[in-house]
This record gives sequence, C-alpha cells and structure tokens, in this order.
Amino acid sequence: MNQLLQQLVNGLSIGSVYALMAVGYSLVYSIMNFSNFAHGGVIMLGAYFGFFGLTLLKLPFAAAFILASVGTAVLATLIERVAYKPLRDRKAPFLYFIISAMGASILLENVVIATIGPTFRTYPEIFAREPIALGSLAIGRLDLIMFFVSAFCLACLILFIDKTRIGKAIQASAYNMKACALMGVNTDLVVLIVFALGGFLAGIAGVFFGMKYTVYPQIGNITTKSFIAAVFGGLGSLPGAVIGSVLLGVIETLVAGYLSSQFRDLIAFVILIGVLIVRPTGIMGKTAEDKA
Amino acid sequence: MLSVRDLYVSYGGIRALKGVSLEVNKGEIVTIIGANGAGKSTLLNTISGFLKPQKGEVLFNGLRLGRQPAKIVKAGICHVPEGRLVFANLTVHDNLVLGAYLRRDRKAIAEDLDKVYGLFPRLKERMRQPAGTLSGGEQQMLAMGRALMTNGDLVLMDEPSLGLAPLLVQTVFDIIEEIRGLGKTILLVEQNAFKALHVADRAYVLEQGRIVKEGRACDIANDPAVRDAYLGTKSKGGGGVA
Ligand SMILES: Nc1ncnc2c1ncn2[C@@H]1O[C@H](COP(=O)(O)OP(=O)(O)O)[C@@H](O)[C@H]1O
Ligand SMILES: [Mg+2]
Repeated sequence: MNQLLQQLVNGLSIGSVYALMAVGYSLVYSIMNFSNFAHGGVIMLGAYFGFFGLTLLKLPFAAAFILASVGTAVLATLIERVAYKPLRDRKAPFLYFIISAMGASILLENVVIATIGPTFRTYPEIFAREPIALGSLAIGRLDLIMFFVSAFCLACLILFIDKTRIGKAIQASAYNMKACALMGVNTDLVVLIVFALGGFLAGIAGVFFGMKYTVYPQIGNITTKSFIAAVFGGLGSLPGAVIGSVLLGVIETLVAGYLSSQFRDLIAFVILIGVLIVRPTGIMGKTAEDKA
Repeated sequence: MLSVRDLYVSYGGIRALKGVSLEVNKGEIVTIIGANGAGKSTLLNTISGFLKPQKGEVLFNGLRLGRQPAKIVKAGICHVPEGRLVFANLTVHDNLVLGAYLRRDRKAIAEDLDKVYGLFPRLKERMRQPAGTLSGGEQQMLAMGRALMTNGDLVLMDEPSLGLAPLLVQTVFDIIEEIRGLGKTILLVEQNAFKALHVADRAYVLEQGRIVKEGRACDIANDPAVRDAYLGTKSKGGGGVA
C-alpha cells in the first residue's frame, strides 16, 4: 500500500511535466492539424537556457527559469515564422508541415551539438537531495516543486483559453480558422500566440528535465512520451493532454516499480498502439465529424 | 459603396473569375445568381481577402481594401460564409460575442446583442448551448447574427438558404429583408434564384466566371433566358425545341 502511494506520487510528478509538453502538442494540433515534432528541440533548448542561466550568468533560480521559458517562447514563434508560415501561406498539404517540423528538429539538435557540444551536463544542485518525509512517504523536493509549478502553469493556461477574449479566438480558430478571420480576428497572431504559449511551457519542462536528469542534445526525445500522452488523451484537447500525461506518468512509474524499469519506456508505446487500435481519438479527442 | 472592377481570380491554373465587375450601392440588396461552380463563393472570398486576384481591384467606399481578412472586417464588410461555419465547440452566446471581437464599445455591443436576440429569439433560448447542437436553420441564424455583431455596413451572404427545409428558406429570406431594415447593405449570393430575385433590388447573373447579365431584379426575373436556366419555368416566348 505504502509503496503504491509512493509510486503514485512519483508518477503524478513526472506526469505533470509530461503535461507541460503535451499541451504544446495539443494546442498546435488543435489549430493547425499537424503534430509539431520540432517541440522536442524547443524543450532541449529550454534545458540549455536554464542551465547556462544558472551557471554562466549565475542567475538566481527563478530568473533562470524565466529566461528559459521566455527564450523558448521566442524560439517557438521563430520556428513558426520560418518553418510553417510560408507553408500556411501556400496552403501546403499537411505532410509538408511534418517534414518541415522534422527538419527544424534536426537542425536545432545539430546546431547545439556543433556549438555547445554533445556532452552531458549536470545542473547545479538547487534543491536539497534529501526528500521530505510525509508520514511514511518520501517526496523528493524537486518532484514536489515540479508538480506544483506544472499544475499552476496548466491551470493558468486553461483559464486563459477558457476565459479571455484571445482564448476564445484560439478555440474558434481550432474549429475553423477561416470563420474566425471573418470575425476580424488576426489569425496569424492567434497562431503565434499558440506557439508562444506552447514554447513557454516547453521551456519550463526543459528546465525540470534538465534538473531531474541531465542536459544533452537529445533530451528533446523525451517529448515522444508527451506526444504519446497527448494522443492518449486525445490530440487537440487540452484537458485530454493533461489527463493523458498524468495517466502515462503514473502507469510508467507503476510499471517500473512493480514489473521492471526496463518496461518503463516500452509501456508508452504499448499504450500508443493500443489507443490507435481501440480509440484513435483518444480519451477526450474530437470525433471525425467535429473537425471537418 | 462596393465596386468590384475587372476581377480575375484563379486556383492554380484554373480561372474561376474572368473579369467580373459589379457595383453595390448603400441600402441595396444586390443578388448574384449562378449555377454551382459559377464562381460566386470565389467572388465573395476575394472581397473578404481570402483570395488574391491576379488582376482587378475591389473598392469599398472609394478605398482599396487591404489584403488581410481582419482588416476588411474592420473596414465594415461582414461575410456569412457558405456552409455557415459556426463555432460548434463554443456556445451560441460566445459565437455572437466573438463577432464583436474588434469592437471596444461595450454599451453598443450589448445593444447589438439585444438586437440580434430580438431578430432571432430562437438563439436567445439556446444561448448557453454549444452551437454544434443547433439545427441547420438555427445555425444559419447564428451565422447571420454573428456577422451582424461585427457591425459591418455591408453584409455578404453566401447561399444562406442552402440545405434548409422549404419553410425555413422563406424565414431566411424574411430575415434578409429585416437585416436591410437595420440599415445594412446586402450582397446576396444564391442558387435559389426565384427567392433571391424576389427580395433583391438589382441582380447579376454569373456564368463560368463572367457576368452575363445585370439589371433590376424584376427585369432579370422576367428575362426569358434566365427563366429557362435558373427559374425552371419555361418562358412564354421560349422555343418549343425539346
Ligand atoms: N479551393 C479550390 N481549389 C480549386 N478550385 C476551386 C476551389 N474552389 C473553387 N474552385 C473552382 O472554382 C470554380 C468556382 O467555384 P465557386 O466559387 O465555389 O463556385 P460557386 O460558389 O458559384 O458554386 C469552380 O469551378 C470550382 O471547381
Ligand atoms: Mg459557392
């Protein structure tokens, strides 16, 4: 029982960071109907921004955090402008977007390898290593902070989308970009905002992953998990992305704890294949007729 | 108010408009009738800034329109698109409020919202429902109401009666007259030529990307060729060749 609770806590923490990345996939998918595979590169750079903010610039933790997330927000909008906008303007087929996204991802990874180098770097220790004891549970300080920061950011995002004028325009664009433009909405700006939001959260996720593991040019591959989580929850749905991520985080830790940690990464793919066979729209995904 | 001058538009290599010119004056209902594929939607989408003409221009109140759809809305042109395209995932109320996206005058927005709900009581009853749950006729009303919320002076309507039951078709045309009563100018594109010519002041006939006839709506309605082609009634003087 105790072990189960412990695993659940760990799973929630890692799942909440998956969610930070997964909502980025879902937001972009919801308005542009393609999976932005350059997202991993953005997360990787977020991890580096945070790392260099702390080590080179000797910034306090919060400032490094902001540097990383603002930096990735800008980076994500740049990718949109360079890699996708020319395609949107030409009404290019969806496959071109995927290819462009992969190109951007490979470019980012190799620029980092060429300039910063391929080595693994370790974040300086910010939070004490010894966990907080809560009854018989031991909760890592970093895990706790990851969970609360992620939950806070996700709550802000959902409120923003649900309550603000721009948030409504984003929802409307997700349904139909043309009709949204007919309301006088600058849909180019909506697209930029969506990339900036996704990029901002990706930066936070990057810093957390850098702190929890290490920083290296391929760290962005971890987004495969959050992509699977987004599909699991239903691509294009924000609550779906969050639920899918938390479930995936919990399932992974349970599998690692009770079966073997070697199955940990396997289970994500088993879930992906299972979802695609049983319910391709995911837990909360749009059905085909919703999205003409 | 609106003048379209010698407009050429193509999709890739396919010419959809081949030198279309037309005028819409303030307070008029002008209709463009034409068969499926004649280029009616292409014309409206070009006026709204979604398509770039190869040649020709669109003037609104004497000024050239910008290219961005949002700027064109701001200039005062609203467009009720073919197929309605209501935001099915948002409530009826949110759909209408989005129509006022560019406006800041809260009081005037609230007044217009009342006006729209007055025009469409059905929408008021369903204001908290997702727009996707509305019937086809109600969605058409919502698309019109949403366009009115932009407070544009010129309303472009693309086949508002398409796919509606006959009883609702009449309602839609009644509403078009009421919208004119609100002081709007209307450019109405229709395949239902009979009703459109009945409600309009002037009409243009579009065939394969060209205007082939124009004139007062009642004259067009009595034109033998138009009667044969669009009204499905054999004209009196028409030949008996089968
Ligand atoms: N997106 C498009 N791509 C290519 N051709 C198109 C497209 N939209 C319309 N067309 C063509 O342009 C012509 C005019 O179409 P349209 O303006 O939709 O006609 P209407 O609204 O009068 O039915 C048709 O021949 C149609 O096949
Ligand atoms: Mg059409």
